[in-house]
Amino acid sequence: MWLQATLLLLASCVPSSLAIYADEVNHVDYHHALLGFPSAQSTFFLKPSPSSNASLLYTLSEKSLLGAVNPKDGSLVWRQNLSRSALPADGNAHTLLRASEGTNALVSAAGDYLSSWTALDGKLIWENWFVDETVADLELLELEDASASPPTKDTVALFGGKAAVVRRLDGDSGKTKWEHLDESGDIPIQISSSSTEVFYVSLQSSARKGYRIKVTSLDPLTGQQNQQQVLSSESDVSSADSVLFVGANTAAPLITWADQSRKALKVNVIGTKQVHTFDIENTSGESISSITIHAPKKLESLPHFLVHYETDSTTWAEVYHIDLKSASVSKAYELPRLEGWSVFSTSNKDANVYFTRITQSETTVVSSASHGILGRWTHQAPPMEQALHSVSEVVARGDTVAVRSAAALISGDWQLIRNGQTEWTRYEALAGALAAAWVEEDIQEDLAHQLQVEGHETLYGAYMHRVKRHARDLQHLPEWLKELPKRILTSILTDEVSNLDGFGIVRPVVVATENGRVYSLDAGNHGAVSWKVKAAETESWNVKAILTQPGSATIYVDDGSSVTLDVTSGEVLNRSPATVKIRSVAVASDGTTPVTVGIQENGVPTESVDGQGFFVTLSDDGSVLGWFARDNQNPAWQFRPAPGEKIIHATARPPHDPIASIGKVLGDRSVLYKYISPNLALITAVGDNSATFYLLDAISGRILHTSAHQGVDTTQPIASVISENWFAYSFWGDVVDPTDAKGYQLVISELYESSIPNDRGPLDSASNYSSITDLPLPHVIAQAFLIPEPISHMAVTQTRQGITVRHLLCTLPFSNAIVGIPRPVLDARRPVGRDPTSLEAEEGLFKYNPFLQFEGKWFLTHSRDVAGIKTVLSTPTLLESTSLIFAFGGDIFATRATPSQSFDVLGKGFSKLQLLMTIVALSIGVAVLAPMVRKKQINQIWKASS
Amino acid sequence: MHISFSSVLAFFALSAPALATSALTITIPPSSLLPNPNALPAGTHATLTTLPSSEAAFTSQTRGHLAAPLTRSATFSFHRLPPSTKPESYLLEIRSPEYIFTPYRVDIAADGSLLGVWETIRGNPWDNRGAEKFVLADADADADANSAIRDVNIEAKVLAKRGFFEERSKFSPLALFKNPMILIALVALGFTFGMPKLMENMDPEMRAEFEKQSRTSPITGATRSAMSGGGAPGNFDLAGWMAGATPRPTAGADAPISPPATISGGESGGTTRRRG
Repeated sequence: MWLQATLLLLASCVPSSLAIYADEVNHVDYHHALLGFPSAQSTFFLKPSPSSNASLLYTLSEKSLLGAVNPKDGSLVWRQNLSRSALPADGNAHTLLRASEGTNALVSAAGDYLSSWTALDGKLIWENWFVDETVADLELLELEDASASPPTKDTVALFGGKAAVVRRLDGDSGKTKWEHLDESGDIPIQISSSSTEVFYVSLQSSARKGYRIKVTSLDPLTGQQNQQQVLSSESDVSSADSVLFVGANTAAPLITWADQSRKALKVNVIGTKQVHTFDIENTSGESISSITIHAPKKLESLPHFLVHYETDSTTWAEVYHIDLKSASVSKAYELPRLEGWSVFSTSNKDANVYFTRITQSETTVVSSASHGILGRWTHQAPPMEQALHSVSEVVARGDTVAVRSAAALISGDWQLIRNGQTEWTRYEALAGALAAAWVEEDIQEDLAHQLQVEGHETLYGAYMHRVKRHARDLQHLPEWLKELPKRILTSILTDEVSNLDGFGIVRPVVVATENGRVYSLDAGNHGAVSWKVKAAETESWNVKAILTQPGSATIYVDDGSSVTLDVTSGEVLNRSPATVKIRSVAVASDGTTPVTVGIQENGVPTESVDGQGFFVTLSDDGSVLGWFARDNQNPAWQFRPAPGEKIIHATARPPHDPIASIGKVLGDRSVLYKYISPNLALITAVGDNSATFYLLDAISGRILHTSAHQGVDTTQPIASVISENWFAYSFWGDVVDPTDAKGYQLVISELYESSIPNDRGPLDSASNYSSITDLPLPHVIAQAFLIPEPISHMAVTQTRQGITVRHLLCTLPFSNAIVGIPRPVLDARRPVGRDPTSLEAEEGLFKYNPFLQFEGKWFLTHSRDVAGIKTVLSTPTLLESTSLIFAFGGDIFATRATPSQSFDVLGKGFSKLQLLMTIVALSIGVAVLAPMVRKKQINQIWKASS
Repeated sequence: MHISFSSVLAFFALSAPALATSALTITIPPSSLLPNPNALPAGTHATLTTLPSSEAAFTSQTRGHLAAPLTRSATFSFHRLPPSTKPESYLLEIRSPEYIFTPYRVDIAADGSLLGVWETIRGNPWDNRGAEKFVLADADADADANSAIRDVNIEAKVLAKRGFFEERSKFSPLALFKNPMILIALVALGFTFGMPKLMENMDPEMRAEFEKQSRTSPITGATRSAMSGGGAPGNFDLAGWMAGATPRPTAGADAPISPPATISGGESGGTTRRRG
């Protein structure tokens, strides 16, 4: 109690400045800036600036994030979220990214949205929407236009929709220069360009089965149709996917497809009518599972291409050359058949084309001209994980070559391999994080067990046990003593408090991603992945929750199954089979062991549990149900919102939410008692343009408080949170009444037992109360603030004893940041329209201002760009001042929050060296002065008496 | 940057010939807070937000809010202000984590043409408008019918820059001397060492006079007792002196002769004497 009081005093004394110091960045926090899995067709190396030789790695990921990555260290240079501007992805949304070297421009397409960005810094050049059309293909027109300066390249885009349209868009403004409408109903496939023509490739359905490939050539300057050729492919091509490849430009002017049985490869040089047929030599005995064509993209490169065949267990490739003059295609050489997977990539150096092959054990580079291996590098052990596709950059110096390849792995990671060495790995699968939890380490478990033993023995037995245990602990003493000088020395010299691991500050986090992987992030090592494992038996799963026990973590999936993993190695300890589809997982703790109960889609718990717990569930018909844990048949109560309203969110107080003080001491030393109930649930219900927040008692289902707002945009995020004796929510509030303001609002409501200080209401200091009978209603004080931007998610910092001031953690999706708003700022009792009286000022209240600007010091993410956060978690540590924060959903971000500053830790600012120097200086001073003083005193006595 | 818009218009003109959409461009000029607007991060963007009217005039693209990314010339362009069934009033905000910009009110007519742009004051009724940036005059409206397109360019104003980091106090010797405790200690030290030197250098007559004076003045008496070794002005009645009482003659006179064997001894001696 005394400790608590002291801490409370300490916590209230320190100034409420809270930002982190610049030198603590990367020390207290870590951040994975992610893009998502790079898509195969839209990833490449590119030199963004004509003056510099350095290239960047560009990708448009499957999450519609366009970004540039520095190939040296894998850091993100810039990124843009295309899904913000494009139509919401409808599953098969086509995303494309094209670029041309030396123009500092990228052109991207996502659905109906086309945009061009500067390659160096990701600023917009132009954007354009084409309603009701989707982009099918995109090429940059490589016209020799010397007059343009700086060089810009126009875009030719092919749109599908009601009718296929080819448009040429200006490279500076995105304006349409011409358009070619094709209303024949053909399926648009791709476009290809040369310096004199633009080819539009489509599929014309034939009278019988299958499709004929139609190539229409257009004048690049006017868009006029020049000529048209129809290739008879109806026996081979059954859908758009049957066409293997259409080259983008004169470096690969070809259309390829294979026959249905994959026995023959058909190649047509664009612009001619002739179809070359090559037999596929498949001696493996297995059927070919895929054929991929790799061709160079740069205009000046030789027209050579590589055909990559894959069966279930082997891969091989053939290289073909095209003679542009005679429009003939010939097979040049073959790359050997190898067991296991391999991925190929193409790269250029001037006109030379290189093919890079990455297999499990090695990387090899061959020139397109001959089959001689130019470079071969063996990968370090362990064998590389299977790659799905890769891009490479080959540098030739005389006879030797160097290569770096960015390979997208099957686990969703992106790895850069330079000459066989792994340079960096970006864990892009973490962009699809669904659930996360802090690991509970089992170091303390042994001690807890020992203490339990002692508790159950006789007094004498327990005493002996303890003596023995302590004697056993002595064996660590020499080690500890040996370490001691080193520890003291390092702690003085490094000027930094690093040994906080014992306080639960450096806890690993287990993250489950949507592709069935589980990652463990090491907080002590900048969030590096300490292990990853494929925990799902399928390719994807929908994780509902991760619950951790000492030493293990259990992952609950929406089909009712669960997987238990060892947290130190990632080893699967236990699997439970799928049962019924669940909506969420509830934890009922009956005394010692927590019991998990799945909640079905209709809100019914899957099983009944012996114990005193209760659940509040949402059902799919839009009502809230209350259940006692021991009865899963009949709900204890049911709550339906007003007609026309739909429940969108329900939240309760966090499971760990200690309250340090039951009242609030006012300036005149009277106390306003907090309305503290562990059974509060905050329900958000929305109507057409309104939102209602219901505060329910979870035992009885009674409504304790309701607040309704009109003019609410229900399509924008509405976040809410409840903790201690207060709840907060935010929404977009529009003008309903002429005196209204327009903007995002944040409302804070505090619950008290009574409006009168020193009054505890009808319950007074009763130790028991009943939710069913005579439940007193809270006295609610609320204040609303206008905030500059929306809040997509809310959470509250949690500390061990709840003494430290709480922060309201708000995710800002527009600023890509997380702010922690101090509770004293969000005090609902701030005086409105007047300055605070001296009593109020003593309490720490200051004048209410309707507009709440987020201060820079509140930004937990400081200058980082933390995008796409869906969930923010907070957990206490053994240090009362410190709360751990972990945010996931898009990026991964973790930090330590010290809402009242780190009052129980010596920070970096505390210089031990300075302290030591002061002590030494004082000692010297005493040593020098002492004889002088002594001499003087003696002199004085003798001289005075003389 | 100039807004190129005719392509969109051409497309629109096919479907709705009477449509007179406007384009709105916001330029960020260099300012003292933001000398180089081109250095803003790529994630900076502007949004236009309002409550979408329940009529289906809003296509899925313009769901309630519109966003414009930062262009390479440090501008934001809204090419296509959304037409609606009734005039709409939007809140225009520029989203940047590090810089705070003024918000604007943007009024758009039902046909998607721009009616006016004003600064707006947050936390005030929406009709309290600030400085006017652009208003569609009647004459313009007539001209508008012909030209059918207007490009409106307004300038964004940076209000403040956010500081994300706490400044760590640096150790500096100068700051040490600003500490009053240190200053007091230094002055005391100066007296301790300086006074005897000063006394020695005085000529005997002056010295005698000074000693005589200091005997009558308690404060110098105290200093002397401090000088003469003990450090504790044991026999100086501080409370009495502060109360303005005349010092008892014995107190000051006895001080130098009291045997200052130890500090505590001197002190206790002083107190007992005072009591007596």
